[in-house]
Amino acid sequence: MAVPVEEAIAALSTFSLEDEQAEVQGAGVLVSSERGATNSPIEYGDVSAYRLSLSEDTKALNQLNALIQEGKEMASVLYTYRSCVKALPQLPESMKHSQADLYLETYQVLDMEMSRLREIHRWQASAASKLAADMQRFSRPERRINGPTITHLWSMLKLLDVLVQLDHLKNAKASIPNDFSWYKRTFTQVSVQWQDIDSMREELDDLQIFLSTRWAILLNLHVEMFRVNNVEDILQVLIVFAVESLELDFALLFPERHILLRVLPVLVVLATSSEKDSESLYKRVKINRLINIFKNDPVIPAFPDLHLSPAAILKELSIYFQRFSAQTPLACVIFKALTYRTYQRHYLIINHIGTIRAEHDDFTIRFASSLNQLLLLKSIDGADVDWCKEVKGNMYDMVVEGFQLLSRWTARIWEQCAWKFSRPCKEAIPSESNGSAESFFDYEKVLYSIFYGFFFIFIGMVEPLQSCLQVVRYNYTAEERKALVELVSYIKSVGSLMHRCDTLVVDALWATIHAEVQDFVQNTLATMLRTTFRKKKDQSRILSDMRTLSADWMANTSKPESDLQSHGGDESKGNFFYPRPVAPTATQVHCLQYLIYEVVSGGNHRKPGGLFGNSGSEIPVSDLKQLESFFYKLSFFLHILDYSATVATLTDLGFLWFREFYLESSRVIQFPIECSLPWMLVDHVLESKNAGLLESVLMPFDIYNDSAQQALAALRQRFLYDEIEAEVDHCFDLFVSKLSEIIFTFYKSWAASELLDPSFLFALDNGEKYFVQPMRFTALFKMTRVKLLGRTIDLRSLISERMNKVFRDNIEFLFDRFESQDLCAVVELEKLLEILKHAHGLLSKDLSIDSFSLILNEMQENLSLVSFSSRLATQIWSEMQSDFLPNFVLCNTTQRFVRSSRVPLVPVQKPSVPHAKANFYCGTQELNSAHQSFARLHSGFFGIPHMFSVVRLLGSRSLPWLIRALLDHISNKACDAFENLVYVHILTLNVTTLEPMTTGLQAALPKSIGLLPFDDGVTGCMRVVKENLNWGTKSELKAKVLRGIKEIGSVLYWMGLLDIVLREVDTMHFMQTAPWLGLFPGADGQILHTQDGGDSPVVNLFKSATAAIVSNPGCPNPTSFYTMSKQAEAADLLYKANMNAGSVLEYALAFTSAALDKYCSKWSAAPKTGFIDITTSKDFYRIYSGLQIGHLEDSVQVSSNNFEILGDSVAWGGCTIIYLLGQQMHFELFDFSYQVLNVAEVEAGLLSQTHKNPHVAQGWETLLEAMKKARRLNNHVFSMLKARCPLEDKIACAIKQSGAPLHRIKFENTVSAFETLPQKGA
Amino acid sequence: MARAGGGGGGGGITNAVNVGIAVQADWENREFISHISLNIRRLFDFLIQFESTTKSKLSSLNLKLDTLERRLQLLELQVSTATSNPSLFTSTTTTSA
Repeated sequence: MAVPVEEAIAALSTFSLEDEQAEVQGAGVLVSSERGATNSPIEYGDVSAYRLSLSEDTKALNQLNALIQEGKEMASVLYTYRSCVKALPQLPESMKHSQADLYLETYQVLDMEMSRLREIHRWQASAASKLAADMQRFSRPERRINGPTITHLWSMLKLLDVLVQLDHLKNAKASIPNDFSWYKRTFTQVSVQWQDIDSMREELDDLQIFLSTRWAILLNLHVEMFRVNNVEDILQVLIVFAVESLELDFALLFPERHILLRVLPVLVVLATSSEKDSESLYKRVKINRLINIFKNDPVIPAFPDLHLSPAAILKELSIYFQRFSAQTPLACVIFKALTYRTYQRHYLIINHIGTIRAEHDDFTIRFASSLNQLLLLKSIDGADVDWCKEVKGNMYDMVVEGFQLLSRWTARIWEQCAWKFSRPCKEAIPSESNGSAESFFDYEKVLYSIFYGFFFIFIGMVEPLQSCLQVVRYNYTAEERKALVELVSYIKSVGSLMHRCDTLVVDALWATIHAEVQDFVQNTLATMLRTTFRKKKDQSRILSDMRTLSADWMANTSKPESDLQSHGGDESKGNFFYPRPVAPTATQVHCLQYLIYEVVSGGNHRKPGGLFGNSGSEIPVSDLKQLESFFYKLSFFLHILDYSATVATLTDLGFLWFREFYLESSRVIQFPIECSLPWMLVDHVLESKNAGLLESVLMPFDIYNDSAQQALAALRQRFLYDEIEAEVDHCFDLFVSKLSEIIFTFYKSWAASELLDPSFLFALDNGEKYFVQPMRFTALFKMTRVKLLGRTIDLRSLISERMNKVFRDNIEFLFDRFESQDLCAVVELEKLLEILKHAHGLLSKDLSIDSFSLILNEMQENLSLVSFSSRLATQIWSEMQSDFLPNFVLCNTTQRFVRSSRVPLVPVQKPSVPHAKANFYCGTQELNSAHQSFARLHSGFFGIPHMFSVVRLLGSRSLPWLIRALLDHISNKACDAFENLVYVHILTLNVTTLEPMTTGLQAALPKSIGLLPFDDGVTGCMRVVKENLNWGTKSELKAKVLRGIKEIGSVLYWMGLLDIVLREVDTMHFMQTAPWLGLFPGADGQILHTQDGGDSPVVNLFKSATAAIVSNPGCPNPTSFYTMSKQAEAADLLYKANMNAGSVLEYALAFTSAALDKYCSKWSAAPKTGFIDITTSKDFYRIYSGLQIGHLEDSVQVSSNNFEILGDSVAWGGCTIIYLLGQQMHFELFDFSYQVLNVAEVEAGLLSQTHKNPHVAQGWETLLEAMKKARRLNNHVFSMLKARCPLEDKIACAIKQSGAPLHRIKFENTVSAFETLPQKGA
Repeated sequence: MARAGGGGGGGGITNAVNVGIAVQADWENREFISHISLNIRRLFDFLIQFESTTKSKLSSLNLKLDTLERRLQLLELQVSTATSNPSLFTSTTTTSA
């Protein structure tokens, strides 16, 4: 019958339940934490079955347990009591008449609260009398009933502890008497009309005395106890029991240890305050033992934020218990001994963390290995019995060790807390501020407390917050926080490790316990019965009772071959039995403990020397040792049987959140989260950026789970839960946002440091500051189920959501930044985007987020299918239009555009540079400055690197759009220039703008101007030029035309740069694709195919691979391979189509030429006579010639500022137009400055012949030099144009009707070859 | 129920044989009970673990769906820009007119 169940359960393990989430959080929720062994769920109802005559004891025991339960509830009522008086409203003057109503209402509200206090008052009286009665029953010398059992002793101690705690709370909570006095005042007001209030008043007076008397409960208990004057012996038994348990410290988990520590001083006081011989106590327990215990634990935790100190209790109680202080030397000895000094070391976790770490590492390894052994054992059928026993025993030992470790660790935290609460930080700001970062943080703290200080001054309460700040916030140094986080995570991780394997190990534990018990009962006791106790009838009866009530004789029946050995058994071998996985019941353990106690003590509690002290007992030492060790083992069995409940208790750190006492003494509603210990720990982990701590960041959140559980289950206060919930909500939001920021900063700086030149960094002295400390977020990125207050939170999706957003924000910021700078910042923009992209790449290895191109396109506003512009392209274009073209000048030699040093002709208005945190640039400050110094190199000019950035940023999608926009700009400028020329006589470029202007300038040219005369040399020439070329009023127009020509030149040169860059990019592209497409360059530049008509290598490769795979019969899915080979063909086609891209510059020139065609008639009128018109020509070259000489003259005279305004692009613009209009020859023949140069040459020749003084040409050297330079530049431009745009048999690109460009088409030499070019607005 | 004498003797099981038999039967019964209850707890453990792994698998799926959904939104947007300007796609000759 059992087999199918087992099989069914085993079958479940075939399900694959792998989970990639790492165990970096606490256990969260425990499904079962019912106690079945340490607290008997049936109240030891089955005791009677064993016929030990313990029913009286059991009854008393259950009564005490019920009282303990009630008392705990009372204590939580008191602990969570919050003052009502604070919330009571004050009546404004206008409503004074309803004061009486207010009193009544107040009374009713307070009455509810006070009734609870009344209840406590009544309860403590009854509890004290019951406890006293119980004690008296067992302390009569002629004890009439069996007992007290050990469990009973514990219950007495626990009840006493509850009473002490209650008393302590009552003393500590100031708001209770406050509320009470208010209540009493309202009562006197309200009760005026009432009749028969005497009893009520009496009750009130009682309550008042109770509330205002310190230690009222203990005093009352004392009175009750000594009503009959013989409880000393039971008190002494309790003291001895407590002292021995504490000294042995084996079976005690920390809650019990704390109970003993709290109760012990009170017990001592009670025991010594009787009239009888208190000396007898010191006969049984040496005073030094007590002092040692008190000395080792000078501070004991009582409530989360309340502590007790034995010395203080003793001191205080000595006032109330005169006899105690008068009689005993103990008091003064203790006071002397209990001066704290060196205890700090003992309490601070930081001093133990090294050991704890080692313990943790060691334990987890050994635990895991014995768990593996156990699994191995389960997978083997019919394993060797001894081995089986050993493995299970090992597991048992590990669990015991685990419990002890957990208990020790959690106790450390409790004790450190208590210690910290007892020693508030003296000053609000820690004086030692190491490092500037630290002091900044401190400063923040100061600010913070000042802010809050003001806030509370406003409400009239400053002190309060200070106190919490002092005991919590400033009381933990960074190191201490680190140690605390570490310890919390150890506790939580070991706890969840043990909790997870609960059902796995539990039968092994049962079996081991069963084996232990049976071994003791069947073998050890049998031996004892035969030897030591043979003669002692009473004791041997007890021993055989023990055997009767717990022996499992039939445990071996299932294995017949082991044959039923009689319980007397073979002495040497002992009784052989098979352990069954069944644990003894709580009652069995209870009875066994009682019986052992009976054997040892002989039923006489007055025996000096303590439990196993052995003075006067006739039992030999060896037997006593065995009995003792089994006795303590028994009490630990209970904890192990309550496996999950024990784990839950031992890992419960909920107390770290509670601060009811301080809240009440600070009179604020709630503290800010900075004062909340769990959040402080989380915050510390985040702030410290310690890679080792980072994975523990979720552990402190488990504290909230614990506190919430405690608030609901133990304290039973809804409002506490609500507060915790609110805090958790807030904290978790804060946590996620801080964490995301840290993650983003880390990946950003990682990317930024990877993108720095490594060899440069290596050579650098301080290069290591650019390296980023590695951090691992992988565990956190896999958290899909963070358990928080019963909710399950998908941390991963929260983080990826935020990451998606922050990447978008970052791009947005970079664009904003670019828009507030000039075009030169494009290199920086590209660099920053590259860092961001790299960071994205690094992050997306660990976390799935939107693809970068998608994010970038979204932020570029580049999603539309019908628009090819983008935010960036638009910005570059408008930047060129408004700033770059007017304000930048070209330097032909350096191939750079630089900003004109003159006052900008066109003022540019830009938004101010936006500010952002360092992580929106490169991560850290150091990396920022490193990258900025790189970017600064490119911030002063525009050249090839910028063009590369533009090409890379815009890509093939928006670049054509930009080119087209620029070309349209050229044609517009030219047009403008022409219109101006109609009225006067000179020129401008960029075709539409130029046109009107140049026509204006045409009018300014003299009616006729012939060749310059050689007669008067250079001087004469210049005179002629000046006489004839009088721009007069048109000088402004002239400047405008020059600027137009300059802009056309700039655009064309820009196109030239773009062409260079694109060619480089294309070549790279070609080099990469050519081998796959089967292309190679031929001897004279054309591209050859390797195999004619055949497939290219890439297609072949995939085809043959597909064929090979498909031919294999094992191929599961051939269609996908066919698809792949089809895609290879598609790729082949696509790449081949892109192969021979045309030249942008050629296209631009062709476009310009086409644009110029419109003005051809005006700018290059064919002379009617058919001869070359020399004197009256109004052709463009004429105008430009005039402009050039004027411009050269200006540049020579006015300290060359003209150049700084116009630069070399004027020549580019002018010459291009001339060339495209077919006037190059004319220009070279008739240009004024060329003529002047010729004249100067002739003159120089004449001079050298005649040896005259060369004074004639003097004064013109600089001008001549400038002219020569201009000629050189013009020649350069012309030769470039001839190369790129040959007028004979043009090879250029054409644009088909459909708009698609055709590259390298041969044209006849007409300037109107591009008539079909789509014009803007056409 | 018998009352024990005071002093040294303590209690004593009055009917040791009967108690022994009862205890033995109790051990057997409890073996059965603990067997059943342990397996029920294992079943529970399984369910809890199943729930949690399922949850994390679902959340992975959710993450993928989110990504896909965003991509789909994007594509829809792109298509809508295209369909709102049908003239651009009907005939290419209009552009050069």
